Amino acid sequence: MSFWNQAFEIARVDLTLERRIGNTLRITLPFAVVALMVFPLALDLRLALVSTIGIGVFWALGILFGMQVALRQSATDTRERRDLQALLGVDPAARFVGRLLSGGVLMSGFLLIVLLAMVVLFDPDVPDGGWPVLIMSTFFVAIGLTELGTLAGEVTTGLSNRTVLASLIVAPLALPLIIGASQSVGALSRDTGILPWILLLIASDLALAVAGVALAQPLEEATR
Amino acid sequence: MRLPRIAAIVRFEQVGVSLGGRLVLRDLDLVVEPGEAVGIAGPNGSGKTTLIRTAATLVSTDRGSLEVLGEDAAKRDLVATRRAIGMIGHQPTLIPELTLVENLNHVARLAGVDIARVRRALQVVGLDEASHRRAEACSFGMKRRVEIAHLLLTRPQLLLLDEAASGLDESARDLIEALVGSVRQRGGGCIVVSHDRGQLAELCTRVASLADGRLETAR
Amino acid sequence: MTRVKMLMGLAAVAVGVGLWFALTAPPDALQGEYSRLLGIHPPAMWVAFIAFGVTALGSIMWLVKKAERWDRLAAASVEVGIIFTAIGLFTGMVWGQAVWGTPWDWQDPRLMSTAVMFFVYLGYLALRNAIDDPTIRARRSAILGTIAVVQVPLVYFSVNLFRTLHQGPSIRPDGSTMPDEMLIAMLVNMGALMVVYLALMVARLDVARTEAAAAPESAIAGEAVRPPRLNEVEDV
Repeated sequence: MSFWNQAFEIARVDLTLERRIGNTLRITLPFAVVALMVFPLALDLRLALVSTIGIGVFWALGILFGMQVALRQSATDTRERRDLQALLGVDPAARFVGRLLSGGVLMSGFLLIVLLAMVVLFDPDVPDGGWPVLIMSTFFVAIGLTELGTLAGEVTTGLSNRTVLASLIVAPLALPLIIGASQSVGALSRDTGILPWILLLIASDLALAVAGVALAQPLEEATR
Repeated sequence: MRLPRIAAIVRFEQVGVSLGGRLVLRDLDLVVEPGEAVGIAGPNGSGKTTLIRTAATLVSTDRGSLEVLGEDAAKRDLVATRRAIGMIGHQPTLIPELTLVENLNHVARLAGVDIARVRRALQVVGLDEASHRRAEACSFGMKRRVEIAHLLLTRPQLLLLDEAASGLDESARDLIEALVGSVRQRGGGCIVVSHDRGQLAELCTRVASLADGRLETAR
Repeated sequence: MTRVKMLMGLAAVAVGVGLWFALTAPPDALQGEYSRLLGIHPPAMWVAFIAFGVTALGSIMWLVKKAERWDRLAAASVEVGIIFTAIGLFTGMVWGQAVWGTPWDWQDPRLMSTAVMFFVYLGYLALRNAIDDPTIRARRSAILGTIAVVQVPLVYFSVNLFRTLHQGPSIRPDGSTMPDEMLIAMLVNMGALMVVYLALMVARLDVARTEAAAAPESAIAGEAVRPPRLNEVEDV
């Protein structure tokens, strides 16, 4: 089976599992929306402030809850399954790309729904021309977060405290994504160029993709 | 891909393997010739699983040399060699939320095997009527049968069984025996690991003992 | 199946009738055409309240009788109740945007309490989905279903307890505050949505009964496992 066929097969099974297990839709997504609702209440309903911080709260919660999507149960392999995949000749890089494809679909859907909820709940101050930039940044963050989560999941595979440990690894590494995303919209309000920030997002995503593919084999051997 | 004619299926020469800073296998010499099924008996913690995973090239050796299907196991690219290896380990490898037939279709696709043969494989192992049950709702024995069906599809040249027959009913054990026979008949080799010497005596052409990481001479 | 089709047909007719009443009632002087949402928003929320009340009843009955049918009733009613709550929230937001200038008012306790109720029952479904064992699932769901119903009176009476943007109860013990045509439209639609609720419940319970009947035998029974064909091992 070719590299891309392996990747698509892994992505297909991953999405099938997520449809059946359903943790993203049934648990993580409602939890993220409830978390959005906590902020205005915690800020004593100072609604002018709520509108100002809406987009920032979206990025913060998107990253934090998005990590749970990236580290979902359906994307976890036991040692026995990884051994089987090795004996089937599955390229670890193809597994990374497959997880990236399925995770990217889930993460994009997840973040877009959370974004919609934030818009309804926070009535955010979005500068002129901000909506396309916001949506575009959301997609780039979705890809980057999926890549980070998949890599962190591989590094922590087989460990008992995997989810917490992987989240700890992902959070600081996600800073370039948060900075690029928040600054790209902020640049519009300041009337400065958005291009450097969009390029930061694209560069981060590309670097993580290259790292994921290049490190797939060494990670596979290190985690046997 | 056809592998070249080889003298031995597996050749361990003075192999040592360390895991977690502990020497698990030491000075291990073992040769499995084509058509042989070698049994390795030993108590828990003797290194049986490590031996199996080393033969599968999933664990690197620290000392000595290992050849699997004519290839040096220290080689970088072992994809072709691994594809000719079949293994049944302690724990089933099925994805719990997929049905039995979905699990088998998935591994068949990854192995590049014609999906049309999957139904036939399930018939032979007696699971054609149960194939639409999710793996999580199936017994250990049923999951083992699916793993056997997978190996019937991929026809490995080296078969590795780690306590594969433990906990199985008589008909499933007969299947394991048929699988071993099939591999031997094709000129392949088998390593069967178990703590049950009686089982090994039934399945294997000779039996060796593994104790404290060392292999005693095979009888 | 015939019973379900009949009820679905009846529900379609009832909704059609309700729609006619809602569209032909005179619009409100202040809210204009948006007042027609009176035909769906309050009825949807009422049906949701009833649905969650049925869940509580089913939950209590399961705790007393331990019969599977009560658990199925409770779970089905949550699923349908969530749909009606979502309809209520969505139509409420549309109405709010038109009348208040905002779809969401943080200071409205009815809106907040309805949203909380929605998520609690989503959590109920997530809990059920996470448990494979039917008895454990029924027990834990019954406990949650019994506790969660406390929210229903809280949501309903929130407009009485706090001054909010939200309109107060349209129907009170001393009479209604709205024109008769609107009141009739609202009541007709409430009846229509109750028929929809019943149709959805019957359909969902039929599916649940079928799923329960088709559930695989215990893996230990292994009736679906046949003897292997040892002579055909080479023919795969």
